[in-house]
Amino acid sequence: MPGEASMSAAIIGAAEANDIGYPQTPKSSLTLHIEAINNVCEMTGIPIKAIDGIFSAGWSPQIAEYLGLHPKYIDTTAVGGCSFEMHVHHALAAIHAGVIDVALVTHGEMGFSQRFTGGKGTGRPFGGGDPWDPGTQHTSAYGLGGAPTSYSHALNRHMARYGTTQEDFAEIAVVTREWATLNPRAVMYRKAGEGDLPPLEKGEWGGGKRGHTFGGPITVDTVMNSRPISWPIKLLDVCLVTDHGGAVLITGPELAKTSKTPPVWIAGAGESISHWNMLEMGEFTKTSASRSAAAAYKMAGMGPEDMEMAMIYDSFTVTAGITAEMLGLAPEGEGFRLWKDRHAAPGGRLPINTNGGGLSFNHSGMYGMQLLVEAYRQLSGTAEDGGFSGDPGKQTSARSCVVNGTGGSLSTTGTLVLVSDD
Amino acid sequence: MAEYTKPIPSPDPVSQPFWDGAKEGKLMLPRCDDCNRVHWYPRVICPFCHSMNIEWVEATGKGTIHTFAVQHNKGLVARGWGDEVPYVSAYIDLAEGDRMLTVLKGVDPNDPESIEIGGAVQIEFEEASEDVHIPFWRPV
Repeated sequence: MPGEASMSAAIIGAAEANDIGYPQTPKSSLTLHIEAINNVCEMTGIPIKAIDGIFSAGWSPQIAEYLGLHPKYIDTTAVGGCSFEMHVHHALAAIHAGVIDVALVTHGEMGFSQRFTGGKGTGRPFGGGDPWDPGTQHTSAYGLGGAPTSYSHALNRHMARYGTTQEDFAEIAVVTREWATLNPRAVMYRKAGEGDLPPLEKGEWGGGKRGHTFGGPITVDTVMNSRPISWPIKLLDVCLVTDHGGAVLITGPELAKTSKTPPVWIAGAGESISHWNMLEMGEFTKTSASRSAAAAYKMAGMGPEDMEMAMIYDSFTVTAGITAEMLGLAPEGEGFRLWKDRHAAPGGRLPINTNGGGLSFNHSGMYGMQLLVEAYRQLSGTAEDGGFSGDPGKQTSARSCVVNGTGGSLSTTGTLVLVSDD
Repeated sequence: MAEYTKPIPSPDPVSQPFWDGAKEGKLMLPRCDDCNRVHWYPRVICPFCHSMNIEWVEATGKGTIHTFAVQHNKGLVARGWGDEVPYVSAYIDLAEGDRMLTVLKGVDPNDPESIEIGGAVQIEFEEASEDVHIPFWRPV
């Protein structure tokens, strides 16, 4: 039996900023937020001033002030890329409790452009850790920094425990790239300089319809031959670093009827954490997604067998592979088979990461919003006419989707079960 | 002593007994006086039973490799370590329980297949400054 909060609120629209990927001109993270908010309000017909709850990864007071809003609910949960799935969970609870009517979940991040602005415009420059913080004190001596330097330990452990190989995980990158070649918004949509497409000029980064130097289809060999970053992770096991802004609106059933775009119902939601610093991870081949998914499935009164597609955070190929196992979509140690056996591929029985993923579509640093936007696009049918961006990308006929964000160092997870109206 | 160019941790009042032990080449670990379990990193409360009766004990300095990775990318690692890529980072399961992050000494980063998950390792300390000796591990 579904939980009490199940289906009591819906995502009624989802939109992105005007320029995502590799914009020619940098826009601040705040601007990316605001463009997406404006787009989602235009798309749904819900005015900005109707928003009475703001949910973002650290930005809520600034967003409220910038828009001149005085919301009744302010949530700045920032626990990595899964924050946005948690925001939806929190918004569902707040709407179910009758505290607010219109929740905004918003994201803006100049992951790519900050390299040209010296970090200006990011709003939240990432400093080093507090030297006394135990996580910092007992790990900083060993130099691990960027996310790949940590996640590689999980991939190696998975290979040792289950006998999986680097090639197995490369299959995830290959199939995910295949999806990207169907999405004109994806950075890796196609290869610049191929066919009628002129090569990129010096200083031009391309992406999307313009093409990318390394865009278009890839093979397992392409992944295996890409340069080592943190063995056994290679460059093409790693997500992109892009700009992105995204926003979704969530309301109860009555207001959902007033939206110009269809509702996608929140059937289930759950969140959990296993650690913050990877030092405390416990078993390196498991994440808290098993717990957050159990909560979400329970609320929904549904199980993994009921899911017709999945949006799974793929910061790295290993993140997607392990998470598929935690979500009950594949047996432990065999998550990669969903991709290798092409169940997750275009035309497969369980399409996964239909936008091209963090690996080949867009990953701004935190990717949870991109998961939400794509799940909404696929389930609502708004992708058929291209939605607000005008780029069609309806890839599936799915009516249910499990969405799972992963944050930190495989630390935090938020899981949603979303269903369309019929 | 040659200048130590990599990051040096800052001991705090909670962890000081560990760093004091390190200066003498001893691995000191916090152990709960109630449930008897060792934990790492050091805390004022036992993460297993939530007792605040924590004592420090000298450990064997023995452990096994839980997992490891080879760091190749200068741009992703901290100042000082960029000059040492490729190098092997690892998580060590301590003989007494719980786990430490480290860098493995005495292994070949260009031949990761030669490094064994589950393999036995022994701790050693490197003098980074007068007050801070950093633990590293080496296969035995």
